Amino acid sequence: MPGSENIRRVREYVVGMPSLPTTVTKVLEVCNNPKTSPIDLDNVIRLDPVLMGRVLKLINSAYYGLGTQVTSLARAIIMLGINTVKNLALSTAVVDRFSDKGAFRAINMDGFWRHSLCVGVTAKLIARRRGVDPKAVEEYFAAGLLHDVGKIPLNNALPDEYVRTMALADRERLPLFLAEKRALDLDHCEAGRVVAESWKLGGAIADAIAFHHTHESYRGDHGDVVRTVAVANYFANREGIGFSGNLFPDKPGPEVYGLLDMEKSWLEELEAPVAAEIEKAKVFLKLTH
Amino acid sequence: MFSLTIWGDRGSMPTPGPDTVLFGGNTSCLEIRANGRLVIVDAGSGIRQLGDKLMREDIKKGPIDADIFVTHTHWDHIMGFPMFTPIYVPGTKLRIHGPITYEEDTLDKIFGAQLSYRYWPVRQEELGAKIEYEQIKETTMDLGGGLTVQTKYLNHPILCLGYRFEFEGKSIVTAYDTEPFRNVFPTDPADPQYDADAAREGEEAAREENEKLLRFYRGADILVHDTQYTAKEYVASKVGWGHSSFEYAVNAAHRTGVKRLLLFHHDPNRSDAELQELEIFYQERVRGKTALELEMAREGRTYIA
Ligand SMILES: [Fe+2]
Ligand SMILES: [Fe+2]
Ligand SMILES: [Zn+2]
Ligand SMILES: [Zn+2]
Repeated sequence: MPGSENIRRVREYVVGMPSLPTTVTKVLEVCNNPKTSPIDLDNVIRLDPVLMGRVLKLINSAYYGLGTQVTSLARAIIMLGINTVKNLALSTAVVDRFSDKGAFRAINMDGFWRHSLCVGVTAKLIARRRGVDPKAVEEYFAAGLLHDVGKIPLNNALPDEYVRTMALADRERLPLFLAEKRALDLDHCEAGRVVAESWKLGGAIADAIAFHHTHESYRGDHGDVVRTVAVANYFANREGIGFSGNLFPDKPGPEVYGLLDMEKSWLEELEAPVAAEIEKAKVFLKLTH
Repeated sequence: MFSLTIWGDRGSMPTPGPDTVLFGGNTSCLEIRANGRLVIVDAGSGIRQLGDKLMREDIKKGPIDADIFVTHTHWDHIMGFPMFTPIYVPGTKLRIHGPITYEEDTLDKIFGAQLSYRYWPVRQEELGAKIEYEQIKETTMDLGGGLTVQTKYLNHPILCLGYRFEFEGKSIVTAYDTEPFRNVFPTDPADPQYDADAAREGEEAAREENEKLLRFYRGADILVHDTQYTAKEYVASKVGWGHSSFEYAVNAAHRTGVKRLLLFHHDPNRSDAELQELEIFYQERVRGKTALELEMAREGRTYIA
């Protein structure tokens, strides 16, 4: 059964999963600076799905009694203290121990980073436009930022297999998650579930990770977040902002917009603000491309 | 009987010498007794004399069996452990509970590091006592014999727990090292780092955490609270250091109906004369305005809850 062997390798990778190469320099710079402001710390963490997930794990496992899941980074920084969060970020911001093998990767992590950020920002902007309570908007962002997190272990722990998976998707014109299921017996939603479990993420974030390609059959409590992420994911793929390996993306049907009580045309108006947010992030990270 | 004995009340570093005779110079260590049960809070340098007392008195009744609750792993709260004599005595049973800040470090490693040849002639592996370590978070625990403890995260540069022990309807609460939670994000839109979401969320988080703290203190028979600074010192240069002012502690204790407040974690630079002066100052300030009784924690003193 290749699936169980693949899942084992994913599990193994997730334990020491490093932050993304795109953000690592800035994370080190911000967290090694004793005078770093809380807002800079907040900014750098929210740009990296791995860091974001780990900080949320820490805060949620630290506070048992809370009942609800904390999804706000600002709250995490206040409750855990800036030093704790900095230290956690530093320990996560290591260079990928697998990357020095020089293996070819199916997905370029820069493109993946941009895709993840785009989905996070888009989901947040849709939520705002829908009049979601400001307190809950951050959850949409986190869910969007993290939705494809399962691709990181697939891409890095199963590099050769994942290249073959992409080729299969290409050949058969399949959405990537279906090709993954066929080639690896494990799609990035299942791999993402492993990540979410390891980070003790539940609720809307975990559901967005697990169901953003199967939202039509989703019956849980977080339908709004799951569907918003699916729409944001479609938008990112359609606009070609970043690239997370999906050449033939699944397209949400009109009923999804109905369930969200939103107009599909809102997406056109999102192009400018999303681009502005991503540009801001690029300036912050000092990216030149 | 439910009692508290102070074996160390000094903050940051032991301060022996003629200026610290009255209030003591040992770092944090509290002995709590709930009838026969022994609970120790923190293993600062004060734990050495507590250990000696246990070896003189308690050992006659049988091996030492105790729970040690560590507020956090800053050095002044664990440094006395290698000199706690019962750890060398076979038959001793210790359960050490405390928070850890980073998930890679374990409590036994942090404690054990002190008992390594580099720092100490005896290694952790060579101790006579049977020691169990337990990493704890915000939780409630039943310690048996009617004694319970509830924990609450405090605001300190590393994770730090406050403890609320309850026994036969009485309560002893510890809240150090801590300062009030505050919004660390700029709230002035003119600030170049201003971010509306962070500012709003920060305000709310700080307010909610402070309310939780007050609930944690509510109605305590004894509250042992961090008061390393005066409000003036705090505002001038100590914000963010993780310690409270006398003013905050007195206000919080009064507002939550605490019966007795022990001012604790004395600044290492504070002499007996200064502490005495401050004690009288704050006692005078609340006289007639509150039912709260307050005093500076004194090494060696026992309080009945
Ligand atoms: Fe996906
Ligand atoms: Fe995606
Ligand atoms: Zn201390
Ligand atoms: Zn401390």
